[in-house]
Amino acid sequence: MSAVLTAQVLPLADFVAPKIEYNELMPLFVVFGAACLGVLVEAFLPRTWRHLVQVALAIVGVVVAGVLTVLLMADEKKLLAAQGAISVDGPALYTWVILLALTLISLLLFAERSVDGGLSAFAGQAAAVPGSEAEREGTAAKVEHSEVFPLTMFAIGGMMLFASANDLLLLFVALEVFSLPLYLLCGLARRRRLISQEAAMKYFLLGSFASAFLLFGIALLYGYAGTMSLGGIADALATKTGGDAILLAGTGLLGVGLLFKVGAVPFHSWTPDVYQGAPTPVTGFMAACTKIAAFIALMRVFYVAFGGTRWDWAPMMWIVAILTMVVGSIVAITQTDVKRMLAYSSIAHAGFLLTAFIGLAQAGSGVLNGITSTQAVLFYLVTYGFPTIGAFAVVTLVRDAGGEATHLSRWAGLGKKSPLLGGIFAFFLLSFAGIPLTAGFTGKWAVFTAAWTGGAWPLVVVAVLCSLVAAFFYVRVIVLMFFSDLPDDAPDVVLPGWQTTAAVALGLAATVVLGLVPGPMLDLAARAGEFIR
Amino acid sequence: MTTALFAVAGAVALFASILVVTSRRIVHAALWLVVALGAVAGCFGALHAELVALVQILVYVGAIVVLVLFALMLTKAPTNPLPALTTRRSPFAAVVAGVLAILLGTGVVIAFGNEKIGPVPDGSAEAVGTAVFRTWVLPFEVLSVLLLAALIGAIVLSQRAPKKED
Repeated sequence: MSAVLTAQVLPLADFVAPKIEYNELMPLFVVFGAACLGVLVEAFLPRTWRHLVQVALAIVGVVVAGVLTVLLMADEKKLLAAQGAISVDGPALYTWVILLALTLISLLLFAERSVDGGLSAFAGQAAAVPGSEAEREGTAAKVEHSEVFPLTMFAIGGMMLFASANDLLLLFVALEVFSLPLYLLCGLARRRRLISQEAAMKYFLLGSFASAFLLFGIALLYGYAGTMSLGGIADALATKTGGDAILLAGTGLLGVGLLFKVGAVPFHSWTPDVYQGAPTPVTGFMAACTKIAAFIALMRVFYVAFGGTRWDWAPMMWIVAILTMVVGSIVAITQTDVKRMLAYSSIAHAGFLLTAFIGLAQAGSGVLNGITSTQAVLFYLVTYGFPTIGAFAVVTLVRDAGGEATHLSRWAGLGKKSPLLGGIFAFFLLSFAGIPLTAGFTGKWAVFTAAWTGGAWPLVVVAVLCSLVAAFFYVRVIVLMFFSDLPDDAPDVVLPGWQTTAAVALGLAATVVLGLVPGPMLDLAARAGEFIR
Repeated sequence: MTTALFAVAGAVALFASILVVTSRRIVHAALWLVVALGAVAGCFGALHAELVALVQILVYVGAIVVLVLFALMLTKAPTNPLPALTTRRSPFAAVVAGVLAILLGTGVVIAFGNEKIGPVPDGSAEAVGTAVFRTWVLPFEVLSVLLLAALIGAIVLSQRAPKKED
């Protein structure tokens, strides 16, 4: 009786339950589930157990999600899931695997406790005033924030969503989901807490500003197309006439929001400050994973939704790409801090990636059997991600009494003091510079080929020139490490625990393998195919 | 009629939001925020989207502004006028912001200038419910993840370890 009444009063009979493809979305659910479990662990487990359990939980979560994603890749899944909000296609699955692999390495760095006197790189009590009595007490009692692990899991879940978002609403939600934990993680350094807190504040304010641009762009595009889905916008572009003003404004504002996350000039000003201030393991995580997720999202939005108005946005992107490469390479020369130098280097790499993005070499549009833009970018992101985390892992090992010695002058002669560390760092730098037989070379070759076949040859010329400039400052650091005299007060090279050792070894192995035998990875990137709609 | 109501509510919202960012007293700014958000609720009301308007009042005017006021109270924020925090570069920023506002405003006027605003059928409780729990169910659930992350973050930033008793 009452059931009948309810059905009459509420139009429940008309409601069709949403279709959620649980199998295909399982990697996402595993990551978010591990994050939520981490929160429970934080609430109910005694303090002594938390670090171990959190690390184990996060690593198991990432590995399980990775295995599930690989299984989906083997099935070559291509579908729009969750009412068309998420596209589980080749590029998305490939990006998920790469993100999860890099997160695994980052988690190892987060878990490292032996380089800084038995404590992790994160502040014991974020609320304690830097330099205060409370802070000293906390350090003496070995208090730690093990919440960083669930926060990292939230961030990586957001990044996975961001790279596969098929409508603008989910794009914005995912952006916030991965940005918010990153803002927090940036401010949690154990050493040099003031610049860490400044970095977090700066990143938060500028990030919110960029989100506002993105949101306004989404609103204008919704006004133009009447839909949020990328495919719907592409259809509207093909059929609708008029309303070009808000289409252009919307594209531009959306581009600003995405290019901010990629770290492209002129939206890069946060990068050096945040990379320098954030705890070094977090910097490595951000530099690799944020860039990957943001770049794939940028490509997806512009290729799927705005593929039809390519000639409207390409000029803007040309300017951004050239500026990014030139500013990134040239300003890096003047840097005196290792982390800031690596930040500018990451800006320059964003510029190199943009060349392939603009080339728009797609199967079916002239490219018959060459490298497509999507393939080149997917490959480059791997060859950039592994050395980046590896390099930041090495930076955590060069320490003096005040923490990490990041000033470049302090690195003089380090190669003589510790040939192994110097050699590994030099190898990562050579890979960034794109010297043959390293991952960086094959990556650069892929993106430049894609840009060339796509007809963006002037960009390739600029990119090669900028690579030469960039090679100069990478080589300068190597010369400084190996051919300068070791000063008496040189910083120590600490003996890392197994976590950092494993992280550096994984980064190094990937860099070597991708440099020597890039074929299988390139094939994998090719099999990922194009973005679906 | 709808157009007129919407225009009035929109003008109030615009006026109040300018006062929010220019007011020197932080409590005044918070109270102008009430007016601005209330006027936005008025915009929704003018479009016959009653549920959205009510939710706007409940969540934004009710919860968020009260939260802001509580935060001011708990952090003992000064209620007297704050010193000017603008730098020498603020005129440039104002020019950039002004040009951007004019450009975007012109774009919107060109696109929608001639359109009459009518009541929106999508604003009813039924339509909103269907949209949230069917079409947008996954982004909606992901938002709860965002809130959880924010909650954890707030605890991390503010929690102090209890004093040792030894």
